[in-house]
Amino acid sequence: MLQSDLATVLPELILAIYAMGALMFGVSSGKDQTTGTLTWATAGMFVALALWIGFGNAGDRSAFGGMFTDDNFARFAKITILLSAAAVLLISQDYMARRDLARFEYPVLVSLSVIGMMMMVSAGDLMALYMGLELQSLALYVVAALRRDSARSTEAGLKYFVLGALSSGLLLYGASLTYGYAGTTLFSGILSTVNEEVPLGLLFGLVFMLAGLAFKVSAAPFHMWTPDVYEGSPTPVTAFFATAPKVAAMALIARLAYDAFGGIPDDWSQVLSALAVLSMFWGALAAIGQRDIKRLMAYSSIAHMGFALVGLAAGTAEGVQAMLIYMAIYVAMNVGTFAFILSMERDGKPVTDIASLNMYSRTDPMKALAMLVLLFSLAGVPPMLGFFGKFYVFRAAVDADMAWLALAGAVASVIGAYYYLRVVFYMYFGTEGDRLDSRMAPAQWLALVAVAAAMLLGIINLFGIESAAALAAESLVR
Amino acid sequence: MVGLEHYLSVAAALFVIGIFGIFLNRKNVIVILMSIELILLAVNINLVAFSSFSGDLVGQVFTMFVLTVAAAEAAIGLAILVVFFRTRGTIDVEDVNVMKG
Amino acid sequence: MATIILFAPLLGAIICGFFWTLIGEKAGQIIATGLIFLAALLSWIIFLGDIPETGHVTILRWIESGSLSIDWGIRLDRLTAIMLVVINTVSALVHLYSFGYMAHDENWGESEPYRARFFAYLSFFTFTMLALVTSDNLVQMFFGWEGVGVASYLLIGFYYRKPTANAAAIKAFVVNRVGDFGFALGIFGLFFLTDSVRFDDVFAAAPALATTEISFLWMNLNAANLIGVLLFIGAMGKSAQLFLHTWLPDAMEGPTPVSALIHAATMVTAGVFLVCRMSPVYEYAPDAKTMIVVVGASTAFFAATVGLVQNDIKRVIAYSTCSQLGYMFVAAGCGVYSVAMFHLFTHAFFKAMLFLGAGSVIHAMHHEQDLRNYGGLRKKIPLTFYAMLIGTLAITGVGIPLTHIGFAGFLSKDAVIETAFVGSQYAFWLLVVAALMTSFYSWRLMFMTFWGTPRGDHHTHEHAHESPMTMLVPLGALALGAVFSGMIWYNVFFGYEDKMRAWFGMEAAAHHEVATEDHAATETAAPAETATATDTHGAAEASAAATPEAAAPHGAVPSGGIYLAADNTMIHAAHDVPNWVKVSPFVAMILGLALAWLFYIRRPDLPGKLAAQQRPLYLFLLNKWYFDEIYAFLIVGPAQWLGRLFWKRGDGDVIDGSINGVAMGIIPFFTRLAGRAQSGYLFHYAFAMVLGIAALITMMTLFGGAQ
Repeated sequence: MLQSDLATVLPELILAIYAMGALMFGVSSGKDQTTGTLTWATAGMFVALALWIGFGNAGDRSAFGGMFTDDNFARFAKITILLSAAAVLLISQDYMARRDLARFEYPVLVSLSVIGMMMMVSAGDLMALYMGLELQSLALYVVAALRRDSARSTEAGLKYFVLGALSSGLLLYGASLTYGYAGTTLFSGILSTVNEEVPLGLLFGLVFMLAGLAFKVSAAPFHMWTPDVYEGSPTPVTAFFATAPKVAAMALIARLAYDAFGGIPDDWSQVLSALAVLSMFWGALAAIGQRDIKRLMAYSSIAHMGFALVGLAAGTAEGVQAMLIYMAIYVAMNVGTFAFILSMERDGKPVTDIASLNMYSRTDPMKALAMLVLLFSLAGVPPMLGFFGKFYVFRAAVDADMAWLALAGAVASVIGAYYYLRVVFYMYFGTEGDRLDSRMAPAQWLALVAVAAAMLLGIINLFGIESAAALAAESLVR
Repeated sequence: MVGLEHYLSVAAALFVIGIFGIFLNRKNVIVILMSIELILLAVNINLVAFSSFSGDLVGQVFTMFVLTVAAAEAAIGLAILVVFFRTRGTIDVEDVNVMKG
Repeated sequence: MATIILFAPLLGAIICGFFWTLIGEKAGQIIATGLIFLAALLSWIIFLGDIPETGHVTILRWIESGSLSIDWGIRLDRLTAIMLVVINTVSALVHLYSFGYMAHDENWGESEPYRARFFAYLSFFTFTMLALVTSDNLVQMFFGWEGVGVASYLLIGFYYRKPTANAAAIKAFVVNRVGDFGFALGIFGLFFLTDSVRFDDVFAAAPALATTEISFLWMNLNAANLIGVLLFIGAMGKSAQLFLHTWLPDAMEGPTPVSALIHAATMVTAGVFLVCRMSPVYEYAPDAKTMIVVVGASTAFFAATVGLVQNDIKRVIAYSTCSQLGYMFVAAGCGVYSVAMFHLFTHAFFKAMLFLGAGSVIHAMHHEQDLRNYGGLRKKIPLTFYAMLIGTLAITGVGIPLTHIGFAGFLSKDAVIETAFVGSQYAFWLLVVAALMTSFYSWRLMFMTFWGTPRGDHHTHEHAHESPMTMLVPLGALALGAVFSGMIWYNVFFGYEDKMRAWFGMEAAAHHEVATEDHAATETAAPAETATATDTHGAAEASAAATPEAAAPHGAVPSGGIYLAADNTMIHAAHDVPNWVKVSPFVAMILGLALAWLFYIRRPDLPGKLAAQQRPLYLFLLNKWYFDEIYAFLIVGPAQWLGRLFWKRGDGDVIDGSINGVAMGIIPFFTRLAGRAQSGYLFHYAFAMVLGIAALITMMTLFGGAQ
């Protein structure tokens, strides 16, 4: 019994042991000199685990009496999380080393938070959900304040912590209500005692939990931390925030909605669509006034989470599939974009001002072109992949008789296109000014160009994620 | 007779006080940390009350987890607060305002 | 084989159009031309061979949606074979001709590459035209139909620096859209009624269409007639029939080889082809056929009158084309589709030849196109003169009356007129008068160009020179067609109904007669001495014996390239017309020749006097019956007014206004609002979250759960 349970959680277990070991190794050996090695080792670990999970054909299973679920959906999310975390680690290595940020804690904390995320997407119980979420969050609070001597970084950490704790409180309060009215914390049992009318306490529990999770995906109106934290944190940390945790939280919302509250889709669907509409519009509108590219990316991710929520709000397997495709594309786009942002520097100093991109196309046409593709993709301009992501979620919404939601999304994406295209405008038609340096670490260059190429080439068959996402959605929505 | 609703009322009151503590308080970040503890305690009361009245132990197990996590959370919060204080020399909530817009 | 014919030009167009920078302009031209010649050769093999029954080649599945299923396929029957030969032969010769004609062009600078582009367009046109005629269904046909429209647009506007060329290209495109709208409606209608756009299904359903009534608004329309009229409207646009003809003369802005290929021999005949292809439907649509006859005859007459007074050499020929297309439609409308195809076939040769000859004259005269500035060129460019002479003899219909010996136009035009006599007296008289006028303006053109004294710029006349061989060889080859194509294929197109039926692969009529007949075929790639076009004996003649097969088995789908209803005895009746009818076009031709001789050789002062005397009539004709002016007043003006209204008021004020208002007023407002909300204070952020949760709780209380 225990053996099979442990076998099921083996990837998480290995990663946890690895994280402990790495911590010990870092502490006992020459501290920060080992950071490079540790970063590479951690990234390699992530990739190895992703491959293992991807190719190990395990089927649906659960462990610890249903508290931990390992199905196609969880595996899809885990692979996305692991690969994006590895990519972010690799593109940040150069930045960390050059900016005096090469602390050995960073890869360890990232590993811990990835364990938390893996727990989240596999959660089959409110307690597992909470533990995963907290493990992830606590690690993230710390890395946000990684640059201890910077007022901005520490402020980011503080804001993230306070608001994150508040959201955890909301989530927990919801969990306690749910437990009280359902009599169990197992997802599978929550609606089993409900006969006809769902008790209001259960619905309140649902709303509180969704609100807590909405904070994690930074959906409006629980998004307020995002711009400040993105701006204040060191750029590699921002890149990490924008990718893996978003996937994990989005997957957790899906899991909560379908596994725990699958019987009352109308109720959570309206909450999710309200969040989706608010996020899409808020993200699009507030981004217009931004001058800092990291803040811009923060609003961009708020808007993108809105689009992904459109897929979830549809309440169908098609919608879950669309959400998964959207998240995979979103993560890829963000890795590419942040690879570029990490390389932005002038006279050796990092800059994040959008205006500093003036006439970048003259400095480095190749990178400018790759960025152009990425920004067009983020804006959802066909034929880049970003368009197909939006297309899938809108189609899911329309098929679920929520055409108004798709329509709102289309309007929001039109507004949102403005600020992406403004960056393109600066790069290609701006005024002459101080140019950025053209230096870029090989890993960043590779990530940028590879992702840009993928955005174009992916239209052929989406690299197969469509069918993988369909399988994943099928295992979740039964 | 003290019924379930009494416990829930107390928990709800604590929860609301905690939340108000976060956004009404404009002076000290320490107060915010205390408010967070208050919210978690409200949740714990809820869980224990439900657990005891339904005769199901899971709620109390959950409470133990929450307590543990709350301790970790407080530790991390205080740590962040310390580095914040070192760079800024203040822990006034109104001074946590470098980034905005 | 048909697949190769279809795709060789496309390959040529792609290689020449996209890869000439790699292989060089010359190589691109040669490859494109070579591939067309290959296609032409294969077409002749198909044409001279036996086509016992309709062949189908499916190339790929194209559209699959509900009950709409469209394959990309080739339908190979006699009708297709005729068109293949016409298109590929003329196209190949025009490609060859263009080597000389486009070698130097004053519209382009020395280093500007334009030749490869021209050849690519020509090849692309050929491909789309082939797609049109080989299509197996209406949608593919529509693809070709629009494709030739695009190619035509590109080629008319080839000199894109000339505003007139651009205007002409746009005009051609827009006027054709009117017709295409009818065509598209016809296709929709057929799909609506028969649930298929495949020709076989449509033809099989044709008898049922005749008895179907469609209610549209307050009208009850016969389905077959409605479809017939709609499709004919499409044909009118493409074939420049009356009311939609205005684009064709303007299209002469394009280079002359283009006029020869597209606006004389092939594209403009697509309408005739459409009517013949849809013959199973038209056989059940008497009213539509009547309309075709009336419009065709009127066009023939109208265009001939306008042709009388035009001074631009290409415009004269353009109106002549318009007029000849009217002849074809009369034949088709009378129900004798084979005669329509016959005239199409012969017309392609002599009209392409006239155009290429005119191109040669223009080339010699350094792009001077006004007849009034020509004169006396007979000695300067003798070969061109002989070629034009043959073309003129062919178009005016010279031959020996009451026999089947004569130039191509003699046989085919007489066949049309005899058919018209049976079908419609109105059409008959108009066509005879048009024949007179055809003769007059054709000879007028000849006399003004080649006889008399040189007029216009002295210098230009001094330097008039014969065209290079690449331009003369195509003229020679076409001359063969202009002389012999009528005599050789007269029997199978018109002469004997049995042979005609067998040749087209139709079921035999009441009596059946197996006959073996020698087909003499002129080879397209004629030896060099055919450049001396009058030397008809030099033409290489190959005999190919074709044994008509017994009729194809009966089935729901009428077999063969065209279809004649059981009660259609037009051909038989046309053979039995009185002799004065058969002689009438010849008499008209002689009269026209005599008048032209009188006006332009004997008394060159007469035309001016007559024009002065009959000034209103002269102006009326010179201004093409004021069609352009009427359209400008009735349609273009109001359309522009409406367009300006929508543009300035609708688009400018309403749409731009609201979009700009939203983009510059409302959105920045929200942006500022969002910026202010993002105050940076923790308690504001927490408050926003609390507000959010409160709103969600309220929402859930109001709308959630059982409510």
